[in-house]
Amino acid sequence: MPEIGYIVNDFLSDLSNSILPLVVFVTGVLVAIILGRLSRRLLIAAGVPGGVEGTTFERTVNRLGTSTIGLLSGLITLFLIALAVGLTLSIGGVLDTRYYLELLRGYLLQVFVAALVVIIGLIVGDKAEVEIKQRFQDVKLTEVSLLPPAVKYSILFVASLIALAQLRIETGALLVVLGGYLLGIIVLGGLAFKDLLAAGAAGIYLIFSEPYAIGDTVDIDGHRGIVQEVDLFATRIENDGEEFILPNHIVLRSGVVRIRT
Amino acid sequence: MSGLGEVVTNLVADVDAVFLFSPSTANYESIVAESDVPVVVVAAENTVGTESFIELPIQFKEIKERIRFGLEGGMDQEYIDTGTIVLCSMGLFSDGIDSVTRVRAGEFTHTGIYDLFVNSRAEPSVIRNVLEVVIGLGKKGQKGKPVGALFVVGDAGKVMNKSRSLSYNPFEKSHVHVGDPIVDVMLKEFSRLDGAFVISDSGKIVSAYRYLEPATEGVDIPKGLGTRHMAAGAITRDTNAIAIVLSESDGLVRAFSGGELIFELDPEAY
Repeated sequence: MPEIGYIVNDFLSDLSNSILPLVVFVTGVLVAIILGRLSRRLLIAAGVPGGVEGTTFERTVNRLGTSTIGLLSGLITLFLIALAVGLTLSIGGVLDTRYYLELLRGYLLQVFVAALVVIIGLIVGDKAEVEIKQRFQDVKLTEVSLLPPAVKYSILFVASLIALAQLRIETGALLVVLGGYLLGIIVLGGLAFKDLLAAGAAGIYLIFSEPYAIGDTVDIDGHRGIVQEVDLFATRIENDGEEFILPNHIVLRSGVVRIRT
Repeated sequence: MSGLGEVVTNLVADVDAVFLFSPSTANYESIVAESDVPVVVVAAENTVGTESFIELPIQFKEIKERIRFGLEGGMDQEYIDTGTIVLCSMGLFSDGIDSVTRVRAGEFTHTGIYDLFVNSRAEPSVIRNVLEVVIGLGKKGQKGKPVGALFVVGDAGKVMNKSRSLSYNPFEKSHVHVGDPIVDVMLKEFSRLDGAFVISDSGKIVSAYRYLEPATEGVDIPKGLGTRHMAAGAITRDTNAIAIVLSESDGLVRAFSGGELIFELDPEAY
């Protein structure tokens, strides 16, 4: 008789040993699917579909039969299912719990974040390209068409740097390239936009304090006439037959003589 | 049926140019592919990406007005001249092309409506925005009552020197432009004030409450229009501005340039 007791005991312990991982696994998968759905709704509520519309990435993904949102929520679901599988295996005793935690803390999370960064980088890059293209649609200058791709690839470059750093791949050389690139932009951009920046800063003062208004007769730097327009960068004054377009920093530097009539 | 076919064939026979009013891309491409005469697109936006394009600032409900605007634009940009026979095609009842009309470009007397929009000092979009505000005012009035209004657009510095303030300027030190969302309401409120609105070349609202003091001698505007129209006509002759007037008595919108009435339209029809 004690034999039957052993068998029952064995059976019960086997059952409990296999039921617990099973329950964990099923719950994990369910949670993963629910969270995937939830994140999908959150993304839709945040206006992501409208934001990614028209980007190359969205179109490519569409051709593969899904959408950006589907991809993102799918990624989240997949990550959570991987977690559940790992948990199940470690409870079932197949995988060492320490290994599991290591995996969780380490590589799995990194891959997930890296994938997310790459996707977001692709979308933001595409979106920036589309936006800039639309902004410059009316400018009939061929050189302008160089700008959108430059911005796009800069964003992709930064995104891939972050992703590679996540995967703990050596990015030192790429960082040097990025540094040189940024330095070039700042130095050259600063030089190129020096006057525009100065005019803009002076323009803010002129617009807010309005020392002279449209219709006033003024003398600025030897140019005398009626003020026709004051915008952020320039002041237009006009007399009979001449129109002066004066950058605002010149206005501020030379001072303004208001002529009373 | 055969008789009608001949009429249509005669319509399209030896035309010198084709004007397409707001065509779809498919329509445009098939017509350009088969046509051996210049094809000009007249639309609010250049959606088909053509070289010969005339921007339609407002959707004239009156077809004649729309064609007139297109033809004047065509002559101004030298796609056609007065002797050109033009075939105009447009969607009258649907979005596709459903009507065709044949017209000689010199058929209309030159009113300068195209000039008013494109060759004024102020930017075309500014003039369009002002016109939209005025049409809106004409439709609804101020709290249901008909109102009159006078907008002087462009050459603001000179206009300010040819006018004086009736009271404090509510737009002093403000930086609103026509077309900003909040401005519609503001202009509607201020339209009950007497005097003119002055708007700069770039659309900034410079002042309300202005009493215009141009020399009115020799200004020739149609009989029966009041002092508001007289002031509008005169200020556009004295300066390079244009004026858009909403009449309080008959509710029509009129535009003046160079001291002359350029066009009038009924806001109810838009």
